[in-house]
Amino acid sequence: MAFTLSLNTSSKICRGVASQLHRSLKRSISTSTPEEWDVVVVGGGPAGLALASALGSSQLVRESLRVALVEAGDLSKIRDWIPAPETFSNRASSLTHTSQTFLKDIGAWAHVDEERTCPIQDMQVWDGVSDARIEFPMSLLGLHSPGQGMARMTENLNLQRGLLRHLSDVPQVQILDKTKVQLIGHAEAGGWPLVHLDSGRVLRSRLLVGADGFNSPVRSFANIASFGWAYNTQAIVATMFHPPQGAFKGPNTTAYQRFLPTGPIAFLPLSPTASSLVWSTQPPLATALMASEPDVLRHMINAAFRLPDISMRYLHGLLLGAHAAGTTLTPSQIQAEIAWRELSHGIDETSAYASASIEAAKQQGIPPQNAELLPPLVTSLQPGSVASFPLRYSHTDSYLGEGEGSRTVLVGDAAHSVHPLAGQGLNLGLADVECLSRCIQNSLLHGGDVGSRTTLLPYAQERYFANHRTMSVMDKLHKLYSTSFEPVVWARSVGLEVVNELDSVKAALMMEASGKSGLDGGSAWALAARGVENFATAANAARMVGAGLPSLLGASVRGLLKAAGSSSVERKQ
Amino acid sequence: MHLRILRRALHTASTVNPAEIAHFSRLSSQWWDDTGEFSFLHQMNPVRMRFIREKLLESARDDRPAFSESESARVFKGLDFLDVGCGGGLLSESLARLGANTLGVDASQANISIAKLHAAQDPGLALGSSLSYLHTPAEALLTDPKRYDVVCSMEVLEHVDNPAAFLDTCAQLVKPGGHLFLSTISRTALAYFLTIFMAENVLGRVARGTHTHSKFIQPAELVGFFRAYPNEEAPWIDAGRDPPTRTQAEVRGLVYNALSTRWMLAPRGAWGVTECNYIFWVRKPVL
Repeated sequence: MAFTLSLNTSSKICRGVASQLHRSLKRSISTSTPEEWDVVVVGGGPAGLALASALGSSQLVRESLRVALVEAGDLSKIRDWIPAPETFSNRASSLTHTSQTFLKDIGAWAHVDEERTCPIQDMQVWDGVSDARIEFPMSLLGLHSPGQGMARMTENLNLQRGLLRHLSDVPQVQILDKTKVQLIGHAEAGGWPLVHLDSGRVLRSRLLVGADGFNSPVRSFANIASFGWAYNTQAIVATMFHPPQGAFKGPNTTAYQRFLPTGPIAFLPLSPTASSLVWSTQPPLATALMASEPDVLRHMINAAFRLPDISMRYLHGLLLGAHAAGTTLTPSQIQAEIAWRELSHGIDETSAYASASIEAAKQQGIPPQNAELLPPLVTSLQPGSVASFPLRYSHTDSYLGEGEGSRTVLVGDAAHSVHPLAGQGLNLGLADVECLSRCIQNSLLHGGDVGSRTTLLPYAQERYFANHRTMSVMDKLHKLYSTSFEPVVWARSVGLEVVNELDSVKAALMMEASGKSGLDGGSAWALAARGVENFATAANAARMVGAGLPSLLGASVRGLLKAAGSSSVERKQ
Repeated sequence: MHLRILRRALHTASTVNPAEIAHFSRLSSQWWDDTGEFSFLHQMNPVRMRFIREKLLESARDDRPAFSESESARVFKGLDFLDVGCGGGLLSESLARLGANTLGVDASQANISIAKLHAAQDPGLALGSSLSYLHTPAEALLTDPKRYDVVCSMEVLEHVDNPAAFLDTCAQLVKPGGHLFLSTISRTALAYFLTIFMAENVLGRVARGTHTHSKFIQPAELVGFFRAYPNEEAPWIDAGRDPPTRTQAEVRGLVYNALSTRWMLAPRGAWGVTECNYIFWVRKPVL
């Protein structure tokens, strides 16, 4: 039996190892007959599990397709996940209405523990340098059930467990966990993909789905190139505890995000007394923060939402200096520094902006002025919940394999990694899954071959540009806010304040953040994209002015005046 | 009686055009390359299938008021389908997947070989039982008493020599109460511009010489044929109804959107959409 095995390894060493593997596999392969499958999903993350769930929820699919999901890890750990009381996983996502509706439609949401999720009913977003602010009150959205919020913070584990529980009711979808994909090849050139598993089984698949994350082996099999860049940014995540908001501030259902020049810091509600942190910052700073005691990090988090940028830079400098010297700051040291900075800025200890002492936060009573603009003071971090990972932007050239890689399709992070600015990553993945499962079902209804390009092309057409647009906006926002250059700050602050005054634009932005766009889902994003584009243009103009080109401006003003003059002359004639 | 003589005269000659068969035999290896020569057909296939499904469902609901929607997924199951001019088997495979007993026939041996080869690779298709292919002109099937619930002939009519004889053959192969589906191109200036000038000459998306403008058939000519078929007394389509009633015949435009590279089934009665590609359905009277 002759096998053409396709390998995509870049280094010679890899190739050597691969060819050894290839030879040993060839021996083992020749004995195992390929099993016939219609859909093989590689990857048991949220996207892969959601696709398996969506397919399994369709009677048409259950009757006509054999679906398998392959995952290297042990999924029973997630299926039987029982979190300790009052603790939360550090990886949580804000699921939009669109994502929730999809999960409800396929019957998976019923298995998600809704008690552990938290609606986001308000958003406070502000510029770290200028303090220009955009507010997203719920009244603008006009949702029928305010309790739902614009999105719902859900632990990824809670979602994955829900999907797995849903799948345990669907025996037609086979889950092969604790099973690694050793190699993907072909029985003959241009033939159906053969997935070789470490269990010795070989799956011949009509359609191979890569839901295998950022370093997707399925993507390299299909020889799909990916472009992108590392952001030179590290994200720190943690679960934070704080006192309840109290009678005067309402429930803990507001998401806060402050754009610091080092990156955005976000405070996302999980329960009345717990919230999730996503702090994107520069790698050396992240390293220094990660090396510090949790209490130092806690002080830094509180300060990062409150102190002016100049003081944050000073504190960053202190941390970096200590880290470079091989020491760390003690909590009392950082507390004293913050108290001193507050004093120098005239921040009274009873002010909402004071964070050196958390005693004020524990007092119940009338909160200080502007308290609603800021997240509650963090009193402790959940032990073991602090983690960090690098951020990347990447998008593949195509979602479909061609030629040798035909009958291959990518979903979720295998296709795109996005800056987690608005928590859109998982939502994009779920939108991919919804679209792909719809295309597969539509194809089945009309007798199509679900692995064919004809079936998959509408998926690629629908999702590629939708994802690209969202990713570009996130990318531009990231770049726009990572500067403290004054004219740019001025331009973006004006932009933010203008947007804050325009209810319709804001409503469009919110709709999108909540995924509750109207009939034409595209228009809201187009609007938002245009808005960001305008900020960027304004920022560029400001940069030009700042770089000392007033003469150019002068010339253009003169030109305008001249044009106005000549047109008035023409009118006279 | 006249008609019977005419019919016998028609049977003796095949409507197959040798030059056309040679043309498609040359291209046969590309049938299943869905990015190449036949990409238009690959993309058109789901739309044709959708129309067939819609019409079968509509008829089933008309025939049996007790038709339950849960049966709709199985509307093809067990029906005998004949795909005349099946080419590489694009339509036949889809029909077979939905549970139809499908016979694909083609006048080109090369096409039949490709169709068999392709179907054999797919374990989901039972080649030899519910799906089979035969190298034969459609006329030869008339000698066999077997008749079909549904006869389809997609993008074939514009390639045959004697369209009236070909239609007569297809019509005879349909069981009483059965369905005939045809898709083809109308003989209009627009069709010349799009299918020959643009697709073949300018863009080169379709091999030159694939289409001949003078062989295109207009929807009105198809409707006209069945208004007088098999005779003026008991035609398949009643005279004086224009457009024909939806229980007897229907013409729907197939419109290609070059931006989304997708075909769509134009809505019923939309203006000007049958000026180029269209699909035609007619039902054989029960008696």
